[in-house]
Parts: sequence; C-alpha cells; structure tokens
Amino acid sequence: MVSPVHIVSIGLITAFLLGLGKKSQQSILVLVLLIATAAMTMISGSWLIGIMTGSVQPTDVFTAGFKPPFAINLRMTMDEAVLTTMVNLFGFLTVIYLFDVLKNAGKHLLSIIVVFLIGLNVIVMTRDLFNLFVFLEITSIATAGLMIMIQDSKSISAGFKFLIASSVISGILLIGIIFAYSYIGNLNIDFMSNLSLIKGGSVAVFLVLSAIILESKQFPANGWALDMYESAHPAIGSALSAVSAPAVLFVIYKLMPIVPESWHSLIGLFGLITFTFSNFLATRQGNIRRMLGYSSIAQGGLMLTVVSMSTFFGNSFWFIILGFLLTNFFAKAGLFWLNGMVNSDDQNKWGVLRKRPVLFFLFGAFVVAIAGLPPFPTFFAKWEMIMQLANGNGWGWIVLILLGSIFEISFLFKWFGRVFHAEEEKINDIRTPWFKQVPVLLFGAALLATSYYFVEYLNFDVLFVMLPLLIVTVFFAIDFLPAFVKNLLLIASLTIYGYLIYPEIDGNVMQLVFMGVFLVGGILTLIPGFTQKGTRAGFYPFAAMTIFGLIMLVNPADNLTFFMGWEQMALGSYILILRGKKAERPAQQYMLFSAGGAYLMLAAFGLLLHFAGDTFFGHLNGMLPGGGVVFVLFALAFMLKAAAIGLHIWLPGAYSEAEDDATPLVSGVLINSGVLGLFWIATAFGPQQLFGYDIYQIMGWVGAITAIGGNMLAIYEEDMKRLIAYSSVGAMGYIIFALSMNSKLGLLIALYYMVLHFIYKTMLFMSAAGVIYRTKTRNMYEMGGLIKSMPWSFIVVLIGIITLAGMPPLAGFAGKWMFYNAVVMKGWYLQGTMVFFSGIVAFLYLYKLIASVFLGQLKDNHRKLKEAPFVYLLPQFIFVIAIMVLSVFPQVLLEPLATIIPDRIPGEALHWDGKLAMTSFGYWNAFSVMSVVIVMFAVIFGWLVYHSRKAQKVKQFNIVFAAERPFRPETTHVSYNMFAGYKKALGWLMTPLATRFWTGVSDWSMAIADKMRSWYTGNGQTYAMHLLLYAFVLYLLISGGKIL
Amino acid sequence: MYKNMFIIVLLAGLGILLGSFLLTHHANKALPELPAYYADKTASEVGAANVVTAVIVTYRGFDTLGEVTILFVAASLIAMFLKTSKAPKDRHPRPSSVILSTAQKLLFPLIVLFGVYVFTNGHLTPGGGFQGGAVIATGFLLLLMANPQAEFKHGLLNFIESISGTSYVIIGILGAILGLGFLDNRFMSLGELGTLFSAGAIPVIYSLIGLKVGAELSNILHHLNEVQNEA
Amino acid sequence: MEYLTLQNIGLVTGFLLILIGLYGALTQKNILRIIVAFTIFDAGLNLVIVALSYIKGRVAPIIDQTTGITNLSEKFVDPVPQALVLTSIVIGVGVTGVMLTFALRMFKTRQSLDINDFKETKW
Repeated sequence: MVSPVHIVSIGLITAFLLGLGKKSQQSILVLVLLIATAAMTMISGSWLIGIMTGSVQPTDVFTAGFKPPFAINLRMTMDEAVLTTMVNLFGFLTVIYLFDVLKNAGKHLLSIIVVFLIGLNVIVMTRDLFNLFVFLEITSIATAGLMIMIQDSKSISAGFKFLIASSVISGILLIGIIFAYSYIGNLNIDFMSNLSLIKGGSVAVFLVLSAIILESKQFPANGWALDMYESAHPAIGSALSAVSAPAVLFVIYKLMPIVPESWHSLIGLFGLITFTFSNFLATRQGNIRRMLGYSSIAQGGLMLTVVSMSTFFGNSFWFIILGFLLTNFFAKAGLFWLNGMVNSDDQNKWGVLRKRPVLFFLFGAFVVAIAGLPPFPTFFAKWEMIMQLANGNGWGWIVLILLGSIFEISFLFKWFGRVFHAEEEKINDIRTPWFKQVPVLLFGAALLATSYYFVEYLNFDVLFVMLPLLIVTVFFAIDFLPAFVKNLLLIASLTIYGYLIYPEIDGNVMQLVFMGVFLVGGILTLIPGFTQKGTRAGFYPFAAMTIFGLIMLVNPADNLTFFMGWEQMALGSYILILRGKKAERPAQQYMLFSAGGAYLMLAAFGLLLHFAGDTFFGHLNGMLPGGGVVFVLFALAFMLKAAAIGLHIWLPGAYSEAEDDATPLVSGVLINSGVLGLFWIATAFGPQQLFGYDIYQIMGWVGAITAIGGNMLAIYEEDMKRLIAYSSVGAMGYIIFALSMNSKLGLLIALYYMVLHFIYKTMLFMSAAGVIYRTKTRNMYEMGGLIKSMPWSFIVVLIGIITLAGMPPLAGFAGKWMFYNAVVMKGWYLQGTMVFFSGIVAFLYLYKLIASVFLGQLKDNHRKLKEAPFVYLLPQFIFVIAIMVLSVFPQVLLEPLATIIPDRIPGEALHWDGKLAMTSFGYWNAFSVMSVVIVMFAVIFGWLVYHSRKAQKVKQFNIVFAAERPFRPETTHVSYNMFAGYKKALGWLMTPLATRFWTGVSDWSMAIADKMRSWYTGNGQTYAMHLLLYAFVLYLLISGGKIL
Repeated sequence: MYKNMFIIVLLAGLGILLGSFLLTHHANKALPELPAYYADKTASEVGAANVVTAVIVTYRGFDTLGEVTILFVAASLIAMFLKTSKAPKDRHPRPSSVILSTAQKLLFPLIVLFGVYVFTNGHLTPGGGFQGGAVIATGFLLLLMANPQAEFKHGLLNFIESISGTSYVIIGILGAILGLGFLDNRFMSLGELGTLFSAGAIPVIYSLIGLKVGAELSNILHHLNEVQNEA
Repeated sequence: MEYLTLQNIGLVTGFLLILIGLYGALTQKNILRIIVAFTIFDAGLNLVIVALSYIKGRVAPIIDQTTGITNLSEKFVDPVPQALVLTSIVIGVGVTGVMLTFALRMFKTRQSLDINDFKETKW
C-alpha cells in the first residue's frame, strides 16, 4: 500500500515539473496532470477499498519519522479515505471536464489545480493544527487562482472579496492556534483534549473553531462565498461545493473532540439556521449559479449541524452524514457541470437540456436528489435525522429543517419546471463534447449506485418495496421503446404484480380494497394511453413510479416505507402533471403543497416516535394519550392530498392541466391515498383533543365546508376538467365529514364513498378525456349536442353524474341513505344539512356538465366528430358495469367493508337481512329499488317514444336569431357564464379566500426574502465585517453573555 | 459614521477577547515538553546546531513544504494573472545613471553570493532557505530597478524553480524510503554538529528551498515589472 | 509592575497592531490601503507569535560554544513559535503578493481602487 503522503508528493512533483513545460506542449502537460490526479485517486482509492475490506489497517503517517506531537502526522482511516478519494476523484474528473479550457490555458493553471487538490488532501489528513493552517492558506490562494480562470471583472472582484475574507478568517485561526500552543504546549489536535479545561483555553478553542465555521460559509457571514459561486467558472463552483466545503466540515469534525460538549448544540443550531435561511433566500434567485451557491451553502449548514452533533446522533451519525455528503457531492457537482455545458445562468435557456435526454434525466435526478426525495440518500438521511431529533425532543430543530426543506423544494422545482417548459425559440445551443459528458454521466451513475446501496442497506421488504423500485427502474431503462409497448408492459407488470401479492394480503379486506383501487385504477387508467403515438418519453417511468408509490402505501412494513411510498407517489404524479402543456405553474403548486403535506407528515412521524415508539401509525390500535398534535399533523397532511377546503388550491390547476389521459390517474386514483391515510388515523388513534377541542368536531366542520365549497366552486367552471376537479373537492368533503363522525356507519360511508368516488370520478375524467380528445377543447361552451356523435360517452357521463348525485337507483343512493342514518345518529344536524345542501349544489353543475356538452345544438365544427376511441371507452364501461353491480348488490361491497372497521369504534353498525340493509331508523333494499325504477323508466320511456314518433326534429336552422347576429356567438351558449345569478348572490361566499391567503403567504415571503438578501451588499469590506460580527455573536452565545 | 462606531465596538469585543489572553496566560518559566524535546534532542537526533532550522526543515518539514508550495502557487497565480501580451513595450524610461548601473553590476553577484551563504548555513546560523532566497531576490530587484528594460532569462529561473522544487520533494521521498519518514533528514550522514556538512539532508533541503524561493520571488518581481512596462 | 515584562509589551503591541490592522481593513475605502492594513494585521500576528517564544534570560535556540550541548532546554527560548513565525511571514508574503496582483487587475478593469466600485455581484 502506497503511503498516503505520496498523494502529496506526487502532486507536488507534478506541480513543480509542470513549470518546465513549454507553451507548445500544453496537451502533454494536461495529460501529465491527468495522470497525476489519476495516481492520487488510485492511492486514496486503494486505501478506501483496503480499509473497507479490512485488508489494511487505518494508519498514521509520521512525517520526518518522529512520533506526534514532535512531528506532523497524517492520518488515514475510513473517514480520511472517503474524503480524499472524493477530492482526488473529483480532481481527476475536473481535469477531464476542463480539457478544452486547460488545453488553451497556461501551465500555471494546471499547477494551481493540482496544488488546490493537495491542499484539500492535507486539510483532510493532517492532525496538526498549524499544518492545517498552512494548507488552508494554500487552498485559499489556489482557490483565488481558480477564481480567475475566467478573468472577467466579476470573478476578479469576487476573488478579491474572497481574499479579504480569507485573510480575516486565517488571522482569527492563527491567533487561536497560537493561543492554543501557549496554553497546552503543542500543536497536535490529539494532544489537546484538555485545552478547553485550562483557564483561558476555551478562548483558543473558540477562535480556532469559529474560524473554521466561518470558512464553512455559514449564513449570514457568507456573502463572499455567494459572490464566488456566482462568478466562478461552473467547474470551480462545483469544486467549492463538492470538495472544499466537505473538507472544511471534516476539519470541524476533527475539532469536535476538543470542543466543549456544551457548545455542540449551539453550533448545530447555527448550521441549521444556515440551512433554512439560505434555502429561503435561494427562492428569490434567478441566476442559476448563485442559486446553486445558496443551495450548496444550505447543504453545508445542514452538514455542519450533523457534524457538530455527532455525539447526539450516535450510531446514526454515519448514515446521516454520508447521505447528505454523497448526495451533495454527486448531485451538486453534476448540476454545476451541467451549468457549464448549458453555459447560461438563465433558467429559460436551460430548456436546451431537453435535447439531450440522458443529460436531462440526470439533471432531474440531481435536482430530486438534492431536494431529498426517494430513493436518493438525502431522503433517508433526512428521515433518520428527524427521527433522532424527535427522540431528543428537538422540535424547534425539526421545524427549521422542514421549513428549509420546503424552500429547497420550492426553488429546485421551480427551476426544474422551467427547464421542462422553456420555449424552444429561447433555447441556445448546447455544447456537449465527450469530455464534458463523461464526468456528469459518471457522477450520475455514482449517485444512482449510492442510492441503491442506501436502499439495500435499509433492508426493505422485497415484495412491497424492492420489486416495485426495480420495475420503476426498468421503465426508466426501456424508455426508448414505443408508447404502446411500454403501456402494454406496464399494464402487464401491474397485473402480474397484483397476482404476486394477492396471497400476501388475502384476508385483509382493507388492504385488498385499497390495493384494488390503486392497482385496478392504475391499469384501467393506463388503457386510453394506447392512442398515444411515438415513444411518449418520460411518461411511463413516472406513471409506474406513481402507481407503485401508491401500492407501497397499502402494506407498509413501517413508517419509513409508508413515507417513502408517499413521496415517490408525489414525485411521480408531479412529473405526470408537469407534462401537461400549460402545467408549469399548477405543477409547481402541486409540488409545494405535496411537499408541505409530506413534511407535516414527517413531523408527525417524529412525534409519533416520541409518543409511541417505532410502530407503524396504522397499527396503533386505539388510544394514543396526548396524541392530539400527532393526529392533527397527520390529518392536515392527508387532507392536503385530499384537498380539504383552504388546502385545495393546487387541485383544480393540477388536475385540469395534466395530460388528459393522465388526469384520471392523478385524480381519481391518487386522491384516495389521502383517504387511506385519513382512514388509518381515524381507526388507529381514536378520538383526540387539541387544546381541549374535539378534533373530530373540527374535522366534521372542515368536511362540511369542503363539501359545499368544492361544489360551489364547481358550478361556475366553464372548463370541463376543472369542473370535475372541483367536484372532487366536494366529494372529499363528504368523505372527511363521514370519517369525522367516528361511528361505525360513518367510517363505512367514508370507505364506500371512497370506492364509489374512485369509480365515477375516474370514469368521468376518462370520458371527459375522450370528449377533449375529439373536440380539442376543454371549454364546455364550445361544445354541445355531442350525444349524437358520442352516445357511449354520454351514457357514461349520465351514469357517472347520477351516481355522484346519489339518486336512486344507482349506487350513490346507498351512500346517501346511510348518510341520513349516520347524521341522525350522530346528531350533527347543522353540518349534516350543509352536506345535503352541497348535494343540491352538485345538481347544478352536473346538469351543466351533461347539458352543455351532450345536449343542445351541435356545433358546426363538431359535425364530423366520431365517438371516443375504443380504448377510452373500454375502461369506462368496466367502471359502468361495476356501478351497475354495486347498485343492485351493494352488500357485495358494503359487507366486506364493514369488517374493516374495528369494533372499538362506537355507534351502530349496518345490519343485513338478505338484500335488506337495516339500521334502527329504517331499511332499504337496493334490488327492489332498482327493479321499481327500471320498470318505471321503461314505462315512461316507452310512452314517450310512442307519443313523439311523429315529432319533428329541431335543427339549427329552425332557430331564428331575430335578425341579429350575436357579437360573440359562444356567449349565447347556455353554459356560457351559466349560473351568473348565483354568482352574484353567493359569490361572496366563495371569494377565493384560500387563494388570497396563499398568494399573500407567497408575496410576503418573497418580500421578506428580498429584504433579507439585501444584507449581501456586494462590498468585500462589509463581508469582512460580517465575519467578525458572526464570530462576536457566536462568542456571546457560547459564553452565555460573559465576555471572559 | 455609525458603521465606523459599530466596527470599533466589534473590535473592542475582539480586543477584550485578546486581552483575556494576557490575564490568563502565564509567562513560561520553563519550556513545555515539546520545545524542551526539540532543544534537548535536536543535536543528537537531527544534528543541526540551529534548533529552529531543525524544527522548520525536519520536525515540521511538512509545514515548510507547504510554505514552499504557497510561494509557488502565489507565483503561479501572479504569472497567470499578469500574463503579458507580446505587444512591443511602449515605455521608454530614462536610462538609469551610470553610478546606479555600475553599482548594480558590482553588487549583484555579491548579493547573490550572500544569499547563497545564508541558505547553505541555515542549519548553523540564523537564516535559511527563505531568508537566503529573499536576499537573492533583492539582487534581482536591484537589477530591475537599475534597468527596468532588462531582458530576463526567466526560462532559467523557471528551470531552477522547477528542478529545485522537484528535488526537494524527491529528497522528502528518499527520507521516506531510506529513512524513517517523509522529509526525514537522517538518511544522509548527520556529520559533526556545527560543521557545514552536517545535519543530514538539511543543508541540501535548505539550499533547494533557497534556490526555489529566490527564483520564485524574482519571477514575481519580473512579472510585476513586465506589467508595469506594459501599462 | 509585574505585567510590564518584555513579553507582555510585545503581546500588547501585537494585539494593538492586529486591531489597528483590522480597523483599517474594515474602514479604508482604497484597496491598496486595505492591503496595507492587512499587512499591519499580519505584522501584529507575527509579533504576538514571536513574543510568545520569549523567556526572560534565555538565548536564541542555536547551539554554539556558549551554550554547550547539555541542559539546552533550560537555556533556550521556545524554538517552536520561531519556526511558526517564519511560516506565517512567508504565507503573509504570498497572500499580499496575490492581493496586490488582484488590485492591479481590478484597477485595470475599472480605473478605480475604491472598494465600493466592485459590487457587481450581490444579493
């Protein structure tokens, strides 16, 4: 094994010898540099592998042959091996990436690069404080040299700001080191453990520590670093983020043993503040490099927290820090490199990435990895971190992390969405020579491999997690195939998967029901996809991700699995929504609300761990004393997905702007995940109180208001899909209301409605998709009279709205009948009345839907329309059959559903006597209702047909416009501004309070962020003052206000 | 104005922190273990009469390698940053007086010689590679002051710089192979304490450092001069 | 009187230089003056380091006829800070040189040496 000191010696010899090179030999010099960095990588890499496999023992290198503290020693253990390998590998790839630049630059730049790497290597390995100082200075000067790789005025002045900052920092560090030496008599970290115990020694420790903390660019004393990120060549920004920052953080890790225990959490808190606020300020950044800078600094802050609290995190420390470290390393470097290829800091110009599918995919992977979504390591690291913090009652910390995370999601996905939708004409050209692609591809692959190892390490269930992940991965791999092949494959794999897991969940009705909804729903909603031509690139992997994410929710082994499924489903559906033509903003909103819900849930999981230990929340079985907060957090999270009023504003946009044939999946199927969660907490927690209020009571009101509000909003919609989308809000209101009645009947209604809503909503959306597929418009006033050309679609919509309205004889009526019973039993008359009233409101928009689309006059341009394609109709009719069966034999569904509800839920259950459903209030027989209705219908229909046989059909030319041609013909359409009167009368009720509230939140936070970031004046001197101020404040807090 | 007041307050805080050191720090009556070890063992272990040199070149030799690297990287940066165009120089300063140019010619070799003396005797007397190198660079400074237009053989300087730097590292590696560790001076005979050829590799290392530092500093001066000529 | 030792005088002077240097670096607007302020700051640091090695009544750590070769640890001042200060000085030289070069180039781009003129990246 080659001694680690030769990383340095090889590097230095190279650096010195490069000076001999001549201008004409530049290519050879670059090659020499490449070989040197490769050799350095191999040395550190061989140590890494050796130590990992146990074939080599960690070692100390004594320079000059004297034992420490008499001479400087370098250490090589697992930690150093990981970091030096990262540094050197990164250096190697940077040389490749910069091949074109280096070939034309002088030899000096080559030397500076290799010295930069040496500096970082020694910073990581050395155990001597003064030696650390020397090599920090080397790295600083080398960094200044790299800053001016592009010599424009921006980077030069940023470099100068950096020099000022680093002079101040190194001054503080040097004073600290000298003080330390004078107190303890040596300079080796390993011999300083008593330093802080000596009178005055803690000042020395503080000075050293604060200098390194400042070097790690903590908010708000980091203006210089931001300016560097913004103006440096992307490859250099990448180096600052991917290797400089971790090396400095490692120094802090090395220092922790000499730092008094009582300081640890304060430093951690400072790191967390950096995380939250840097992400917050990043939300206002338009400049990509600066935004990445903010993000890098934020990640550095988070890692500082973990590092400074390594004793607190105990056994989880390695898992957490590696998760953050590796993700940030691969993903941030990759993003900076991509920046160099796109060669623009303007988000709009990044659309060019779409021309390179592989790079675009990796871009997405990097963004998602940094955002901390599964299956990337940050996701698991964040989870573990929150759980550990919850264990130690760190609620404030959790709030900061989650806030920071939501900001992070906000700007990352705003960027992603922009790249996804940036207009073609604004796109500049992309240069992707092989040497620029190779590093990105390698790091992308490494990121995926790391994720694999993290998932593997966590030992997930093979059938319910690993297999789905595998299938999703396969769909990424086969994305080049034609759409219909992939569609077929996905349907097939879902079917086979269902067959595989059926034995696992057989007997558990609840799981069967939800699995049925998700699997069958998934399969059926995919069928219309057969009309798609081409490859439909990027759809199937995410459709698979969404559906399998949902499936993971059904039988999770633990909370983590559930949360992972949840996040995966959110991510997949986000992309499905984003694919819509005008979906950029709605998708962004969807992502933000999803993430908000997910983080509430994460907080809830943390609290749950604290209250109830490591059990899955659905298996709590009863009372959780004092669990009100947990319950509320969960309820909020699930109601976000179920779009309770106030939390619903993402829904109409997201559902309506998604691709038409994807809407049924992301709405009808996916929304049930919220119901699943709500049902679980309703059965698992029992009644809960918060500040003395009964939570169910509140939820009941929320449900009632949601029912009315959703339906009210629906009636004014001109847009077919938005109308159906709003009606989902209303339906969810029913379900929330039913759940919160907390009675056997209530829960039964909720489940029944869930299934029913799934069926009719999916059906309606599909039939809408069919209509839109033919008419090419979503505006209902541009349609009309389609009953002739699209009779089958008409039948589906008719059956759908009858079910929705809860009219006999269809299955919706059963729900309504039980509803009366449950409300009367519960005694919630006022809320109950509201819900009933919302049913009446529903008639209004249902009428509008069917009348304006299918009845009335056929539009001229629709004369030649055909019925919707067969693949659209097929799943719709499967659903129609399901509704018919349920209408006649509701007990087929209701009886098994009733078995799910635990006995401890109060209230009377539904009894069955053959086909007779009974409660103490009455009975109802679906079969006879159906028979009666059919007979009546047949009689009346027959009579009508008989009497109208001679009636003349009214055609358009039978109508006279009274010699007046309307200015805009569409305004004469019955559904144009239908119900305007209602709007006048009741408009105040539904002024977009929620929208206004959320817009306000967004405006305010933007204004605050703008105010805050004006702190970064751009003046190097001010930045230097920030450094001193930061150290000053840190000292006051650490010493508790005492100066000495 | 408020800003300056604020800065004064901040610095006062720092001053108090520094002042606390005066209160808690006790002047050493005896050397702590580490320097005592150096004082007592240098003669026998390293063989250098100048203990400071022993600390610099051997015990903390890795730092010194770092120092050399710092100068190197600074010089590289300056060279890269001040890369001059090959445009003809349009500055024609008045030629320096005969006294100056003659004195410069006379002094230059002496200064270089003195520099060499300082670094070759670094292990015996105060001085060493950095000091010697700096002295040599003053010779070049004088040269440039006397004749700003002087054509420099900076190829030679580069060559000296590269070779001496590389040799330094190689000697370090030899220390690791033949001796006990990287930069160990003891793979060469320690000789008799107090003589020129003593202290193992220290005189060699210090000479190389002297050459390298001299070349580097001269190079920096050269580059600054070039830029000045251009402006 | 017991505080008025040579060492303490050195330390206090060094501290004052440090503070003066920092004050200059934070208040001067001219880039060259800022750089000068940093060299003062450096000088202060170096003075502190050297002052720490001082022990009253002892000699420089160089072995010669007057010191003999025994009991040297009772005769020498601390050699370590002297070694450190050399490194610190060299680093100071390097950094100052680099800063001056930056100043030169900054002046070339803007014809100005006012630090307030170099704020194109901010927020």
